[in-house]
This record gives sequence, structure tokens and C-alpha cells, in this order.
Amino acid sequence: MPNISELSAAQIAYGVTCGDFTAVEVAQASLDAIEAREPEVQAFLEISGDLALAIAAKTDERRARCAPLGSLAGVPVAFKDNMQLVGTRTTCASRMLEHFDSPFTATCVQRLLDAGATPVGKTNMDEFAFGSSTESSAFHRTCNPWDTQRVPGGSSGGSAAAVAAGEVPIALGSDTGGSIRQPASFCGVVGMKPSYGVVSRYGVVAFGSSLDQVGPFGRCVSDVALTMNALVAGGRDPLDSTSQAMSAGFLDNLEQPVEGIRVGVITSLMEHEALSAEVRTALAEACAALEAQGARLVEVELRHMEAAIAAYYVIGPAEAFSNLARFDGVRYGFRAPDCATLAEQTARSRAYGFGAEAKRRQLLGAYLLASGVYDRYYYPAQQVRTLITNDYRDAFMRCDVLLLPAAPTTAFRFGEMSSPTQMYAQDLFTISNNIAGNAGVCVPIGLGVQSLMPIAAQLQGPAFKDHVLLRVARALERGMEEAGRMRPGVVAPAFARRGGVLA
Amino acid sequence: MRLLREVLRDWEAVIGLEVHTELTTLKTKMFCDCRLSHDDPPNSNVCPVCLGMPGALPVPNEKAIEYIVMAGLATDCQIQRRSLFYRKHYFYPDMSKNFQTTQGPVAFCMHGHLDLEVTGEGATERPDFTVEKDPDGGYMASIRILRIHMEEDAAKMVHVGGSEGRIASATESLIDYNRCGTPLIELVTQPDLRTPEEARVFMERLRQTFLTLGISDCSLESGSMRCDGNVSIRRRGARGLGTKTEMKNINSFKSLHDALAYEICRQAEVLEAGGVVRQETRHWEPSKRRTVVMRVKETADDYRMYPDPDLAPFCLSDDFVARCRARVPELPLEKRDRFVVAYALKRADAAQLAADPRVASFFEEAACAVAKEHVPMVANVIINLLSATKAVTSAQVASLATLLATDAITFMQAREVLELVDGTGDDPQRLVDERGMRQSTDTEALAATVDEVLARCVDQVRQYREGNKKVIGYLVGQCMRTSRGTGNPKLFNTILCERLAQEG
Repeated sequence: MPNISELSAAQIAYGVTCGDFTAVEVAQASLDAIEAREPEVQAFLEISGDLALAIAAKTDERRARCAPLGSLAGVPVAFKDNMQLVGTRTTCASRMLEHFDSPFTATCVQRLLDAGATPVGKTNMDEFAFGSSTESSAFHRTCNPWDTQRVPGGSSGGSAAAVAAGEVPIALGSDTGGSIRQPASFCGVVGMKPSYGVVSRYGVVAFGSSLDQVGPFGRCVSDVALTMNALVAGGRDPLDSTSQAMSAGFLDNLEQPVEGIRVGVITSLMEHEALSAEVRTALAEACAALEAQGARLVEVELRHMEAAIAAYYVIGPAEAFSNLARFDGVRYGFRAPDCATLAEQTARSRAYGFGAEAKRRQLLGAYLLASGVYDRYYYPAQQVRTLITNDYRDAFMRCDVLLLPAAPTTAFRFGEMSSPTQMYAQDLFTISNNIAGNAGVCVPIGLGVQSLMPIAAQLQGPAFKDHVLLRVARALERGMEEAGRMRPGVVAPAFARRGGVLA
Repeated sequence: MRLLREVLRDWEAVIGLEVHTELTTLKTKMFCDCRLSHDDPPNSNVCPVCLGMPGALPVPNEKAIEYIVMAGLATDCQIQRRSLFYRKHYFYPDMSKNFQTTQGPVAFCMHGHLDLEVTGEGATERPDFTVEKDPDGGYMASIRILRIHMEEDAAKMVHVGGSEGRIASATESLIDYNRCGTPLIELVTQPDLRTPEEARVFMERLRQTFLTLGISDCSLESGSMRCDGNVSIRRRGARGLGTKTEMKNINSFKSLHDALAYEICRQAEVLEAGGVVRQETRHWEPSKRRTVVMRVKETADDYRMYPDPDLAPFCLSDDFVARCRARVPELPLEKRDRFVVAYALKRADAAQLAADPRVASFFEEAACAVAKEHVPMVANVIINLLSATKAVTSAQVASLATLLATDAITFMQAREVLELVDGTGDDPQRLVDERGMRQSTDTEALAATVDEVLARCVDQVRQYREGNKKVIGYLVGQCMRTSRGTGNPKLFNTILCERLAQEG
């Protein structure tokens, strides 16, 4: 009998479609795996067992009627808890929304459901996605399945951990400055941030509206491609005026060779002082693996990359301040009891409802947008944004994709990052990609020789060339496998085969 | 306090208006598909977007953009091809997201103007009558429009448990989000208005323009059109600006005029007594005919405006603007001028008919059905006789106007005829014939009646000859009575004059 965590999403969908097993059996196996592994991983904030079984039963019923099944038929998926799904709460890991029942379903969630996926639950995250370790969740921490003393990264740490622990084959996260790619890197899974506008943001609780993008986690590139297909198959979302159409051909040329593809590397970043030695070594191997397949390495430059973090910590908090203003306890969310005035109710509801990092970012944003301050920070930050976007445009004239580090180090221990700015530096290599609206993906390239924790390489591609990016990602994955550095699809060893037997 | 006209001899008022107009003729809200409605039960037209639910996103209503561009074209604004929506932040539950989506420094429409014709009694509010004289005894003024921008309306709040719905003493506040997200255009004038009458005329003209465009029902009473007036005064001849106050709760043209008039006089009194005018927002109390302080603004509010990242910058195409231009119908002033030329109407009559697009088209329907020289009579009937009627058709008006223009009936009879045909669809000409109301134009028969009256009214004839020409009215009345209304009063008048002259 196979274990759920040994199957890819594609294999599950194939098995369900062929009748090798039913969607209900798969859902049950996933729920069993969650039950067995969750005490140590704690990836989930809510496990939607009844909803999962009911939807799986519908998939089976469709099959019984010979109705066509979707490309994710019966595939268990987990959603970051900032995505609305009717029948579940959407808490954003905040006390503010602790009891908030989703009033509607997010477009990205609905599209996976339309493709036949089974929603098994909502995953932990940094509160309102503010963080890089999932430690700012108001409810509990999530452990890295590769070493439970370490963080899974963040903010989509729950989704990354759930996939790495084999609880689900795929999950969705959101990425504002690296929140998919950094946890993917820490947890040894593939995580993609599509180009801004490829996936609808409708129903995803906003952090930084001009930076936020939803994307998938999977244990292999092809599962990520399969999920991307489902996310874009419905075309442009009329409910998100920043969304754009993209063809659902992610699997079509995925295996095509990358001979002649130009891979840009930025020497200053590959040798950045913040990088640990093992990460540097692994990145060199990743370059070699692509070169071995006929890709050409070219030296490029992103001159304003160093300014990206500063610009990000102006634009991000400014948008966050504005997006989180609606949480005042009037219509929904936590409302402080027994207040005499509206001002008191607003102040006390927000004081209790938001954690320290959420308050810090909103205060920062409120300051940055104040008249007189705006011109000194927000406006220059937007100018930096233009410069970075132009840097990328110039770089992509000389190469097809960029290869960069995903994070300075492998996963760190709980509490290791003592100051906010130290934590902010986690996004050093990922943030500029959100600022420019380009596509990025992190691919595991093996374990660190010292830490024995997963390391990833980050690939970035021009906006709306997401298909090419995934093709190179697949080549990298293939190359690293051939080099004996890693096996795609593998679950963190401590959790493999714990529960989740597909009866 | 002194009277306005006196005050305005010493002081010059500087008035600017901010006019909010809900685009009530649209089907849906500004950023979602919720229905626009004024009378549905509270919170029945709401969705995640207008309730500001987490994760909901705005999608702009293209039709609303078309309407504001039409409003801009009709007021000679420059249409800005590139503009942005901004977020304006304030914590208050009437705005579900705690920010209002509005426009920044660049609005869809910038730098337009609206030309006014101030006539009649109101024109005399302006003592410096140096502006170009208007044919109808008034003056023209061109009022610059700074901008018209697009935004969303807030929810309606009702404060219960207190007195007069004031928030101060209320025990509960109820919020109806039906109005939240209603497309709203805000027009800001330059401070070019100089008298309350000019402000009133400006609002009237603006309302006529928007009604003609069909973009709103423009009801000041129900609040679909709202006007805030800013006013300051300065000594005549002075160039600097005084401290202004802002007037709110203006729900009629008269309120606008009276609130500004009151405020100008109040400010003059304060200044003449050596006081200072404070910059404040004042509330117009129509029942007490005065303004009272609402709030004092000492520091400017910081709304933390920044471009809304959920809405891409607008780039209006030539095609789009051309399409909007094609949809702008003939505007009241153009229509008035055409009526004067095409139908030989008096300017004032033409202006009155052209003001309301429904009246104007009713007039033109009727005008088509009469001989060209009788069209002014059609205007006359519509302006003077239709006020009390319920359902008179343009065909009936045409028929009646022809009767009047050919002296077949008198105005008095016309009123009676109208009452009889109102709501029936009957043809006035047929009714007049059936009832034998048609007046005689047989001069010999009329002359016989005149002679009979002159013989009877010796006193009046004497008075006339002694120079009291007014008694002719009495004599005509006697002729009418004698003929039982069948004689034509004009002809009676003519014959009477002839006879009285001959024998004099």
C-alpha cells in the first residue's frame, strides 16, 4: 500500500481518475497523515476534515457518473490562512480574526476546487503575513519538518511545512517579499511566486496590494506546474482588476532541454557576505548542473538591489497600514467589549487584536504616509521601484532567467532572530522580485553539508515568462537529481510513512 | 445684522462651491456589482466589496467613468487621459474600509468653466455692475471649475436614542451600507462667485446640465446632489482673501442662497465690530434661518493619501473620450439659443424651456405640430398654463396653442379647456367646437356688441375721454360678458378704441 506522502499530486489525480483509489480514500489518508504528524509539525490552524470528505465524496460521485474530473481530482490541498474558503475560518493567524468565518471563497481557492482538489485545512503563518519565520502567529509556532527545533520560514511557513512533512502534496501560499520562496527553501520544497497579476488576489487578505502574489508549494516542479495550470485555467479574474490572463500550458514544455538558455548570475550576490559557506557551495553546484545541460551562464548586474529592502519596508508597511485599517471591530473581527465611545472601541479592539509585528508595520506605514513624510520616503521608494524594475529589464535583455540565493542561510532556530531588522534581512534575495512584479521560484538543491538542512536556489524570470521559468526550474531539479544531490518529491525523513497509508 | 445688499456695497464676498453628485442613473455601485437604490431595506444591496470584507477588491465601474467624462466635457473641462485613484484614510464606520477611494492631484476632469446669466432682482446683489450687460437685463459671469473627480459615497448613519438624531446624545448608531460605494462626482469651483445669487444660479445651471446629461436625478432634497459653500469677505477693492467658513446642510437652492447671505452678513458684523472670523465649518439651520458652528478646524486633517494599489492607473483612449463626447446631448444654453433662433422665442422663455430636458423635448414635440408662427404660443401655454395640469399631451398643447394663436379662444377659456381635456387625451379643438366656445371674429357682430356696451356705460366712456384710458379694460370685460365669452377680446379692444376715437 502506498503512503500518501510518497505520491505526487499528479499521481494522486491520475489514480483517482483511473479508479485506483477514491478521492475519499485519499482525503482520509491525508487526514490520517495530518493527525499523526501534526503534533510535531503544527502546520495547520484549522483542519477541515468534514469539508474535505464531503468534497472528496462529490469527486467520487462525479467519477461514478462518468462526469469529467479536473486535473487535481482528489488531490488534498492546504491553504494559507489568509485565503477565504467558505466553511472554514480565515484568521490570518491573528486574534483579530480568530473567529472570522469566511464569507466567500477566494478565486485562487475556488480554482483549485474547480480542478477537483480536496481542501484539508488552513495553514499557519506569520500574523497577517508579517514575518519570515511563522513565529508571529498569534496561535502557535510551526516546526520545520527537517528539524523541529528550527523555523519553517515564513510567512507561508505552515503551507511549506505541511508539504515538506507529507501531510499534503500541494499547498498555496502568498508571497509579498519572499513569503513563499524563503519557507520553500527552508523546508526543502518547491515554491513559486508567479508574476504579479497571474493569480487573482480576490479573497486573499491583503498585506501589500502591489506586492502580494499567490503561488503554489509542491515537492516537485511538475506538481507546481500542475497547480499553476489550475490557477490560471479560468482566465483573467474579473474580480481582481490587476489580474491578467495567462495560458495554462505549464506542463507542455516542462521537460524540454534548456540548451542555449542564458542563466544570469550576479557575482556580488552569489558571493554576498550574508551567505553561509554551505549555501555558496550549493549554489555553485546548481550553476554547474544547469551548465551541464547546455545552459549558458552570463554575468549580469542589478545595480539597485541593495536599495530594495529599504524601498520594500516603505511600500509594504504603507500598503499594510491602509489594508489593515478596516479591522476596527465594527463589522467583523474582534470587538473590545464595554466601550463608551467609537474611538475607544477602535483603539482597544486594535490594541488587543493585533500582535507586536502587525502593530509595528501599521505604525510605520501610518508614519510613512503622513503629510510631509510621504515626500521623503514613499515617493523616493516608488522611484527606487522604477530603478529596480529597469535594472531587471536591462538584465533580462542579456539573460532568460536569473539564478540567485533564496535565503542567506538554511532554517534558523526558534528565537534566533532577535531584532526585527535581522528578520527583515531574510528577504534580501527575494524582495526585489516582488518590487519588480517578476516571477520567481525556489528549487531544493540538496542539504547543507554543515547544517544538514535543505538549501534552495532561486530562479527569477521576467514578468509573464512564468512558463520558461518553470522549465528552467525543472531542468535544475533534474540536474541536481542526476548529480546525486537530492531526490525530487522526497518528504522530510522523520515524517515519511507516519500515518497516511492509502488503504 | 445689516441687509445683504448694504453689506455687499462695502464688502466683496468670495464664494467657492464643492458639489457632490451621486450618479443615481447608473445601475451599479462604483467598485462592485451591487444595485444602486435609495428605498430598499437597509443593508440589502451590499457585498464583500462595499462592506470592506478582508480580501475583497474593487473593480471600477466603466459607465461611471463615462459619466464623469461627459460631465467634464459639458463644463469645458480638460479630460485627463492619465489619472489615478487614491486612498483617503479616516477611521469612521460610514466608510467600511476606513479609507475612501477617491482621486489625487489629477482628476478625470480639470480646469473647466460654467457660464452664468444672472438676471432679475437677484442681479442687483452685485453693486459693481461692470460685467457685460445681458439682453434680458442682467449680466454674464464665467465661473471657473477647478476639477471634477470621481469617488465613492459613504454609508448612511442613523443615531438613535438621542434628540433630533444628533450623535452627541444617541445611545446607538445604525449604519446602512446601501449607499456605501455609490459613484459620486465632486466638482470644485474656483472662488469666482461674488454673490449668493450667483451661487444659486451656478447650482441651478449645474443641475440643469447634469439632468440633461442624464447622469443623476440631482435631488438636493434627497441628497443625491449636495453642496458645500465656502465664503469669505474682503473690503471692496482689497486684493487679499479673508478667512473662509464652510457651510453644510444645504438642501435647496434657497438654502444655499440664504445660508451664504446670512454668513456674509455675519462675517461683516464680526469684522466691523473689530472681531476675527474663525476658519470653521458651520451648519445651516433652515428653520431658524441661521448658521451655527459645527466644528472648528485648527489643523488640517491628515488623510494619508496615496495611490490605490488595487486599481491600475487609468489611461483613457481617444476612442473612449470620443464615445463620451458623442453621448453629450445638446446642453441647456445651446438649446436656449437654438430655441430663440429656430422658434423666435423670447430669450427668457427659451431659457426656461431649455432648463429641463423633459420640458424641452415636450415643447419640441408640440412645436412640430403647429404652424411655425404659432410656436411662441406653444411656449406660452407650457410656461403659463401647464403648472396645475396632470396629464396633458404635447398634441393637446399644440392644438390649444393653435386655438389661442388664431384668437379662437381666450386665455381664460384656455384654462377651462385644459381642465376638461386633462388626462382624457381629447382634442381641445374638437371640444371647443362641440361646446360652441369658439370666439366670434365676425367684426360686424362684435361692433354691434360694442355699441350696445358704449350706450350702456356712459360714465366709463366719459372717464375715457377725460383721459382715463385704463377704463378700456372694464369696457372690454363688459363686451365679453355681453357676448357670453364668444367675442374676441383683442378685436373688442380694437373696435372700442376706434369707436371712442371717432366720437371723441
